[in-house]
Amino acid sequence: MRNFFRHGLMAAIIGSSLAAGAISVSAQGLELTITAPAGAGGGWDAASRSLQEVMMATGAAKSVQVVNVPGAGGTVGLAQFVGSAKSSPDQLLVAGITLVGASISNKSPVDLTQVTPLARLTGDPLVIVVPKDSPIQTIDELLKTIKSDVAKAIWVGGSAGGADHILAALVTQAAGEDPSKINYVAYSGGGEALAAMLGGQATAGISGYGEWQGQIESGDLRALAISYPEPIEGIEAKPLKAQGLDIELVNWRGVFAGPGVEGADLEALKASIEKTVTSDRWKELLKARGWTDYYAPSDEFKTFVASETDRVQGILKSIGLAD
Amino acid sequence: MESFALLFDGFSLATQPANLVYAAIGVIIGTAVGVLPGIGPALTVALLLPVTFKLDPGGSIIMFAGIYYGGMYGGSTTAILLNTPGESASVVTALEGNRMARSGRGGPALATAAIGSFVAALIATIALAFLAPLLVKIAVKFAPWDYFGLMLIAFVTVSATFGSSPLRGLTSLAFGLWLGLMGIDQLTGQARLTFGVPELLDGIEVTTLAVGLFAIGEALVVASRHLYKPEKPIPIKGSIWMSMEDWARSWKPWLRGTAIGFPIGALPAGGAEIPTFLSYNIERKLSRKSEEFGSGAIEGVAGPEAANNASAAGTLVPLLTLGLPTSATAAVMLAGFQQYNIQPGPLLFAQHADLVWGLVASLFIANVMLLVLNLPLIGLWVRLLAIPLPWLYAGILVFASMGTIAANPSVVELLLLTGFGVVGFLMRRYDYPIAPAVVGLILGPLADNALRRSLQMSLGDPMVFLQHPSSAIMTGIASIALVAPFIFKGLSRFQQDED
Amino acid sequence: MSGKTLHTPNRPAAVVAVILFAIAFITYWDASAMTVRASYGMGANATSYFVAVLFVALGVGHLVSAFKPFDLEAEASDWKAIGWIGLALASLIGSIWLGGGFIVGSTLLFAFTARAFGRRALLADICIGAVLAILIFLLFNKLLTLALPQGPLERLF
Repeated sequence: MRNFFRHGLMAAIIGSSLAAGAISVSAQGLELTITAPAGAGGGWDAASRSLQEVMMATGAAKSVQVVNVPGAGGTVGLAQFVGSAKSSPDQLLVAGITLVGASISNKSPVDLTQVTPLARLTGDPLVIVVPKDSPIQTIDELLKTIKSDVAKAIWVGGSAGGADHILAALVTQAAGEDPSKINYVAYSGGGEALAAMLGGQATAGISGYGEWQGQIESGDLRALAISYPEPIEGIEAKPLKAQGLDIELVNWRGVFAGPGVEGADLEALKASIEKTVTSDRWKELLKARGWTDYYAPSDEFKTFVASETDRVQGILKSIGLAD
Repeated sequence: MESFALLFDGFSLATQPANLVYAAIGVIIGTAVGVLPGIGPALTVALLLPVTFKLDPGGSIIMFAGIYYGGMYGGSTTAILLNTPGESASVVTALEGNRMARSGRGGPALATAAIGSFVAALIATIALAFLAPLLVKIAVKFAPWDYFGLMLIAFVTVSATFGSSPLRGLTSLAFGLWLGLMGIDQLTGQARLTFGVPELLDGIEVTTLAVGLFAIGEALVVASRHLYKPEKPIPIKGSIWMSMEDWARSWKPWLRGTAIGFPIGALPAGGAEIPTFLSYNIERKLSRKSEEFGSGAIEGVAGPEAANNASAAGTLVPLLTLGLPTSATAAVMLAGFQQYNIQPGPLLFAQHADLVWGLVASLFIANVMLLVLNLPLIGLWVRLLAIPLPWLYAGILVFASMGTIAANPSVVELLLLTGFGVVGFLMRRYDYPIAPAVVGLILGPLADNALRRSLQMSLGDPMVFLQHPSSAIMTGIASIALVAPFIFKGLSRFQQDED
Repeated sequence: MSGKTLHTPNRPAAVVAVILFAIAFITYWDASAMTVRASYGMGANATSYFVAVLFVALGVGHLVSAFKPFDLEAEASDWKAIGWIGLALASLIGSIWLGGGFIVGSTLLFAFTARAFGRRALLADICIGAVLAILIFLLFNKLLTLALPQGPLERLF
C-alpha cells in the first residue's frame, strides 16, 4: 500500500506543477459554483468549464468550481439547483433548450422558468442533411418526399423529444403532414445517428451543425438547410427561413442564477457575466469551440425562456410526448 | 508507401526525449489511478485529461496515449487480484483471473494479461494505421438489424458464464435485463420502471452494478465467512512468472482475442464488452483443459484481455475517421482532441496527418513502455494481497464507493451500489452466477434498441432480419448455436442439475 | 457445493420464486401504465412484457426445483460481520446525505469495515481511515478537480 501511494504522490507532484500558472488572482471577490446538469464531456459541461476558464482569467470572479449533476436530460441537476441555490448569491446553472424539452417530457416538477435567467450565451444551428447518394437535392424535394409517404420518410437524430426531434416535427408539419405520424428513429446522439446516415438507412438526418461538419465538408453528407434564422459565415447551407419555410430553432445555452436571487446579488452576478462574455478571450474561445455567439442580456433572455417553454410544450404535444 | 513515411515521421516525433518522458508519466499515473478498485479507464482518463491540457498538442496526445493504456491495464489488475472490475469490459477477466489469483497464480494471470494486452494492442494499432479508412466503410453499413443479429449471438454465448445451473444462470441474466429496462427509453422517451425517482431516469450505470455485485458483494461474502472458514488469499504459489505451459496456452488466445476484439470495437456500436464474452466462450470451447474453466484457466484471462485491448484500439477507428466516440473513454478522448481545436472526422487524416501518425506512434511507444514498466511491478501488485484482510477490504470499499460518487455524486447512486452489493452477496450465497447479470444489463438495452429501431425502419415488418444477408446469417448462427446443444444435451443437463 | 442432501422443500428456491413473480407483476403493471406509443414498430412496453413473461417462466422453474431434493448446503454466515459492513455503508450514505462530507463518511466506512473483519482497534482504524480519506480527497479534489461531496471538514482545505 505504501508503494502504491508513492505513485499517487508522484502523480500529485506532476499534476500540481502542471496546474500552476493557469490561475490568476482577481480583484473581484466572487467565489462561484457552476452546476452543469450533465456528465463530463457534454455540451453543458463544456460551456460550464469554458465559463469557468474565462471568468477566472478575466477576473470576473475570484474562483469558480464546476459541479456535474448528470441525469434525465438535466432535470435532476435542475431540481437540485432549485433546492440548493434559492436566493444564493454565488451559484450558477448552465442549461439550454434540451432542458426545456426534458422538463416537459419527464413531467418534472421544476422547469427553467423557476430560476433566474442571467444571460443567453451561445446558439448553435441544427442542420438537415441527406446521404450523398440520395436523390433529394433541396429542402423542397425533401418536403415532397415527406408528403408522398410520411411513414417511409425515415428521420434519424438525437434523443426522443430533443431539439433534433422537434425540428423534424416542424419540418413535417411544414410539409403539410401530421407531426404525430413522423417516423423519427432516435439515437443517443449525433454520433450514433451519423453512422445510420452514412450507412444510407435513413431518408434525412438532423444534428448540431458542428457534429457533422466534417462529413458535410468532405461531401459524405449533403446539407439542405440550417435552422438558424440568418446565414452563418463559413456555413454554405442556407437557413430554412431563406428557403421559404417559416421555421427557426436554435440550440441555445444560457446561464441562470437560483430562484429568488435579486437586488445587489443579482446585479453583481449580471455584471460578472457581462464582463466575461464581452471579453476578447470569450470571443476567441467561442471561435475555437465552433460555437455561435447568441448573447442576450438578462431581461431579454427571461422573455425568451418563457416563449421557448411554451413553444416546445406545443410541439411535444403535437408529437405525442407531452400532455 | 506513403503511410510508412508518415508513420516514420510520427515515430521521430514520439521518440524525442521530452515526449518519451511524457509517455512514461502518462503510463505511470494512468496505471496508478486505474489500479484503484472501482475506478475504470473512462474515469481515469476523464480525471487525468486536464493534466494534459497544459502541454503542447503533441506532448499532450502522447501523454494521453500513456494514460489510456495505463488505465486499461490498471483496471484489469484489480479485476484479477481483488475480484473488483472497475469497468464492464474486465468483468470476464475477473472470472478466471481471480480464481487464479486465489490459488497463488496471480503473477502469471497478470503477466498473461499484460503481454496479451501488449500483443493485442500492437496488432490492433497496426491495423488501425493501415485499415481504418477501409474498415469504417464497412462499419457504417452495419444497420440496426445487423446489430440485432450480433446481439443474438452474444446472448447465446452468455450461457458460457452460467456455471452449474442454467436455471440460476438465466435468472441472473434476467435480473440484468430487468435492470436494463429502467430509465427513459431512447426511442420513444417513455420512462420504464423508474417509480417516480428522477435519478433512475437515466437507467442503471453498468459500473455501479458491476462494482456493487463484485466489490461490495465480495466484501460481504468474505466477511460472512471470516469467522467460520477464514479465507486468506495466497499471494504467491510457485513462480510469479509464466511457465512454459502458460506461454503455450496463452499465445493462441491472445491472437484469437485480437481477431475478435478489433473488428467489433471498430463498429460504431460494438463496444468492448461483447468481444470479451465471445472470446471467453471460444476459449472455453477450444481449450484442451476446458474443465479448468471456472477454477482458474489461463486461457480465460489471455483471450478476453487481448479482446478488450484490441477493441479499445478498434474504438479509435470510428473516433478518428468519423469523429464518433463509441465508448465512454473514447468520448473523453474526443473532448481532448477538441481542446486543441482538432475535430476528428473524415478530414482528420488529410488535415492533421502529423497528429494522427504521432498518435499512432505514441500508442506504440506507450504500449511498449507499459509492458516494460508493468512486468517488474507484477510482484508489487501481487503483494497487495498481503495487506491484512480488514484493511484490504476496508480500502476496497472506500475506493469503490469513491469511484461511484466521483462519477455521479448522488445518494441514490450510493444506495443502488449498496443494494447491488447485498444482491451480490445473496447471489453468491445461493450459488447464482454474477457475471450474467452484468451481461444482461449491457446487452439488454442494446438488443432492445436494435430490435425496435429495425422494426421502426421496416414499418413493423419482422422479415427485415431475414431480408438482409448479413443479419440473416448472424440470426442463423445464433439460432443454430442456441438450438443444437439444447436438443442434444440441454434438456438432460437441465434435469440432471435439479436432481 | 457439498453432497449433503436434505429432504425438505428448498426454502430459498421458493422464496426466489416469489420474488420473481413479484418482479414480473411490477414490470407488467409498469408496462400497462405506459402512455407514450410508438408510431411504427414496437413500443417501449413490448420489451417490458417480454421480460415479465421471462420472469414468470423462471419463477415457475424455481417453484418446480423447490419441491425437488437439492444439494445446496446452507452455509453458516457471520451475520454480525455483515451487520458491521451494513453500518459502514450506512455511515457513508448518511454522512453524504446529511452533509457530513466525503472524509467523515469514508473514515467511518473504513473503520467499520475493518471491524467487520475482526479488528478490535477501532480508534487506530479511524485514524488510518481518516488519513486515507484525506489523501484521496486532496489528490482527487484539489489536484484533479473532481467534485467530491463537501462537508465541514472538506471546506477547511
